[in-house]
Amino acid sequence: MILKILGSLIVFISCSLLGYSHARTYAKRPEELKVLQTLLQIFENEISFLSNILREAFQKVYSCTDSSVAVFFKATIENLDDGLCASEAWTKAVRENISKTNLNSEDENIIISFGKMLGSSDLEGQIKNIRLTVNQLKIQEQKAEELRSKNERMFKNLGVLGGLAIIILLF
Amino acid sequence: MLTNDKQVYKIEEVTGFERDILKFISPDLRNAIRKVAVRDLMYTEEIRLRVNKPVMIQNDKGSFFLEATGELKIRPENPVYVNQEQIIKTVELISENSIYAFQDEIRNGYITLKGGHRVGITGKAVLDGTAVKNIKDISGINIRISKEVNGCSNEILKYIVQGENDIYNTLIISPPKCGKTTILRDIAKNISDGVAHLGLKGLKVGIVDERSEIAACFKGSPQKQVGVRTDVLDACPKQLGMSMLLRSMSPDVIITDEIGSSGDKEALMQVINAGVKIITTAHGYNISQLKLRKEVLAMLEEKVFERLIVLSSYNGPGTLEEVIDGSNMKFLYRREKL
Repeated sequence: MILKILGSLIVFISCSLLGYSHARTYAKRPEELKVLQTLLQIFENEISFLSNILREAFQKVYSCTDSSVAVFFKATIENLDDGLCASEAWTKAVRENISKTNLNSEDENIIISFGKMLGSSDLEGQIKNIRLTVNQLKIQEQKAEELRSKNERMFKNLGVLGGLAIIILLF
Repeated sequence: MLTNDKQVYKIEEVTGFERDILKFISPDLRNAIRKVAVRDLMYTEEIRLRVNKPVMIQNDKGSFFLEATGELKIRPENPVYVNQEQIIKTVELISENSIYAFQDEIRNGYITLKGGHRVGITGKAVLDGTAVKNIKDISGINIRISKEVNGCSNEILKYIVQGENDIYNTLIISPPKCGKTTILRDIAKNISDGVAHLGLKGLKVGIVDERSEIAACFKGSPQKQVGVRTDVLDACPKQLGMSMLLRSMSPDVIITDEIGSSGDKEALMQVINAGVKIITTAHGYNISQLKLRKEVLAMLEEKVFERLIVLSSYNGPGTLEEVIDGSNMKFLYRREKL
């Protein structure tokens, strides 16, 4: 009997945790999108007002935050040091590190297309590119927020209830 | 022991050359240039890259084409050719993937490297109204290596110094490649540090370094020696910079490079009327040629400059050709022509 209770407790806890962790990815995505927008704004300031070169600007951006999305900027610096050009370095950095974040493939495409013009045009072009990307990310953020409010609670409940259901079935 | 020291010095110079210049050239061309004998490389004054043309290197002995073997030949036999991709890669490296940070410089046809070396570029100009907005399809690059020659202004200084706390307003006239900027830098250093044998105490010097060539600032701090009492306003347009320095730093002397565009005269007069001395340079082979330029002529007629110094490259860069007292146009020195 004790064994049964212990087993069902384990099932219950693991199911709930599964639900919570899945719910968390929905909560994290809008957060990351928001941070990414802030970082791009910082980048804009770095290049427009301070007129820093790409590497220095990215270094500053990267050191501003410990959010998981900052990894794109760090990896880009490393790729630049390996001799890649700016757009290659950014694309490679995003492709290799997107799995470390909670962003989906739609976000990935937007972020990669930001790199297409990176560093290769005048300031006006750079700023336009940044603004465009920020706007697109904002839309993504709204979508992600909707998904979160819909799914976060659902997955949490699903986890708990699913656990309970399994226990009931087992008994 | 002596040779040992010399060797060490050379290695330092070589790594400096590698770090300041070769790093910015596309990898395959970089490797080709590395094959050149160290002695020739260290005296390099210019490296020219042109699309579909051989690499050209100019040093103290003249200009040569780079052979695939690393030799320098006057007539190309089997030279290293430059292609468009290598030029694009070089521009990318020079601008450190940040064209936007250099757009103002590109508009003027050059980019300044960290060590104060200037890279001239040609290509197809993109216009915005009448002004050049950008240069695209870059087809030619000329890397001009700037040199720091301590003591190169010693001969000139005695004509500039006036007592222990004063100097003359001076205009240095010289054709390109005669060491104008190098001498100006050395003058700045000497005036700022003081010259013991001429009895000059150090003066407060303000440099308006429009093209980042005199002090070669990197992140705001001078990379070349410009003296202890020197303030540098980097990358600032001359006319604005002079009045800014005047108001903010109370200098004794203002030093700036290459005057002659319209409006320069007013800015200079403002400096001189404030009792601040000025040392500047102008392109030209002699005084009479200089008078053809309206803006400069007006300044000469108003006797703005008390000393006019003409340079040539007759006995190597920085040969003192003549020194003229600007107030009565009499010669103070004239190089004896053989």
